[in-house]
Amino acid sequence: MATLNALSEGRQVEFTRLRAILRITDGNLGAHLTTLENAGYIAVTKDFIGKKPRTRIALTRAGRKAFSRHIIFLREILDGEGSERESR
Amino acid sequence: MALSRQDAAAALHDIEQAQARSASLENYHRAAPHFMIWGVLWAVAYTLNDIYPLRSGAIWSVVVPIGVIAGLLAMRGRNERTWRYAAVIGAIFIFIVATVVVMWPVNARQVAAFIPLLVALTYVLKGIWSGVRYVGLGIAVSAFTLLGFFLVKDHFFLWMAVVGGGSLILASIWFRRV
Repeated sequence: MATLNALSEGRQVEFTRLRAILRITDGNLGAHLTTLENAGYIAVTKDFIGKKPRTRIALTRAGRKAFSRHIIFLREILDGEGSERESR
Repeated sequence: MALSRQDAAAALHDIEQAQARSASLENYHRAAPHFMIWGVLWAVAYTLNDIYPLRSGAIWSVVVPIGVIAGLLAMRGRNERTWRYAAVIGAIFIFIVATVVVMWPVNARQVAAFIPLLVALTYVLKGIWSGVRYVGLGIAVSAFTLLGFFLVKDHFFLWMAVVGGGSLILASIWFRRV
């Protein structure tokens, strides 16, 4: 999510490019994306360029908000305010 | 799941690194088409300059607007402020004209070396802030320009077409890569 959050709002990234940026395997990335998609944090678009399938991923508004909340949560722990709170 | 301060610090560190890497790669990716456009235009314009050395003004007055329009078209559909691109090109153009006027008399060879050196400087400055690949490109363009200026006597424009334009085209390919 940090990788997607660094991109401008609405910007889609191809699966293969995201995999290269993150330096992880297809299966690992696919599992992460499925979890995030089910939570509504990312939008996955699948189409074809000619006969070649293409998968593009973008952070949704809900995903961006959730990510911001997570950052705030981590900062609060660092500041000593939320060390016992549950990660949301 | 309870997180310790150390866990939180480590997570924030990882997030910052991931965001910085992503932003840097995205920056390269967006710049790549512009390097291809200007690389091809440099190659064409300097080659024409070599063939018609007295027509520099006419050649570049056609090539620069083509580059700007192509650059704006390349940004179409992206969430980018295109006026910034046009403003940067305009500012560089005005600076070059002002410098040439102040330094006059200068010959075509000097101007042909000065412009790439200035452009290379902008790459180095950008690279210091947002990505080492720009620094590499700036150093390469500067080095090739100076090498040609001092060592290539008869076909400096052709030299710039090949190594100047070529550097930008190769940079475009390099910048696309993760």
